[in-house]
Amino acid sequence: MHIPDGFLDLQLSTLTYTLAATAVGLAVYLLGKKGVEETKIPLLGVLAAAIFAAQMLNWPIPGGTSAHFVGSGLAAILLGPLQAILVMSSILAVQTLVFGDGGLTALGANILNMGVVGVVVAYIVYALLARRSRVAAAFLAGWLGAVSAAVACGLEIGSSSIFAYNIWVTVPVMFGWHALLGIVEGFATSATVAFLLKSRPQLLVSEVKAT
Amino acid sequence: MKRALLVVAALIILTPLFAYAAELVGYSEPLENIASNLGVEENLLYKGLLPDYTVGGLDPYIGTLISAVIGSALVFLLVYGFSHLMRR
Repeated sequence: MHIPDGFLDLQLSTLTYTLAATAVGLAVYLLGKKGVEETKIPLLGVLAAAIFAAQMLNWPIPGGTSAHFVGSGLAAILLGPLQAILVMSSILAVQTLVFGDGGLTALGANILNMGVVGVVVAYIVYALLARRSRVAAAFLAGWLGAVSAAVACGLEIGSSSIFAYNIWVTVPVMFGWHALLGIVEGFATSATVAFLLKSRPQLLVSEVKAT
Repeated sequence: MKRALLVVAALIILTPLFAYAAELVGYSEPLENIASNLGVEENLLYKGLLPDYTVGGLDPYIGTLISAVIGSALVFLLVYGFSHLMRR
């Protein structure tokens, strides 16, 4: 759901860049005040690299209409919202600037969707439900992280003059497909959390306690 | 940490295989399908240094693999660098 160049008009490009810059700026400010624990920095980088690589694995679903792992939910669960926003934004910047995946004029929108909306929604869902079952909460967080990013994307292109303001087409179609495809994201997120709960529970404990 | 690195390596090694499989099924995302249904075309302003995860002149699957290595390394460095600036 990386928006390429040519989908957003000037107003939307400006608006989404402004919103994304505000959100990322706020996250950096708060993170800077709190400080990143020095011993955690290498693992943070490796997790970001893992999400980048996982995003390259396009799911080969018969019929062709498909997606790939996004990682907003997983990042939010493992890192908390502030670091997750930073990690997802870094990934999206590299994808756009190095690989032309996502347009330059749409980088603000893509960061807003997958780096902010998906992260915040997933984090709220996980924080509310993790006490009952972390694995189930991770599934819902992964799923809703992807679905909310897709809906945000649908809202943006549907408000664009280039899509002739077909918002009643773009939002339901983006929602419908990603509600279905997002199930894979949910499973991948909950499987990772379940695995970490067994092998490295301290990675998850620190974050939940911090909330 | 070692295990996490192994996971990244495994994901990178899988990228050419998934690129091939995506081609087999005719991979396209809902966003692209909506655009083509509504007659909207992408406007290629900027292709990137390694356009669409390929390396110019090289076999596309080898290009994918190299792209995965370069991209993962860059993301690692970027996140490491930013976090280091904000270390406690």
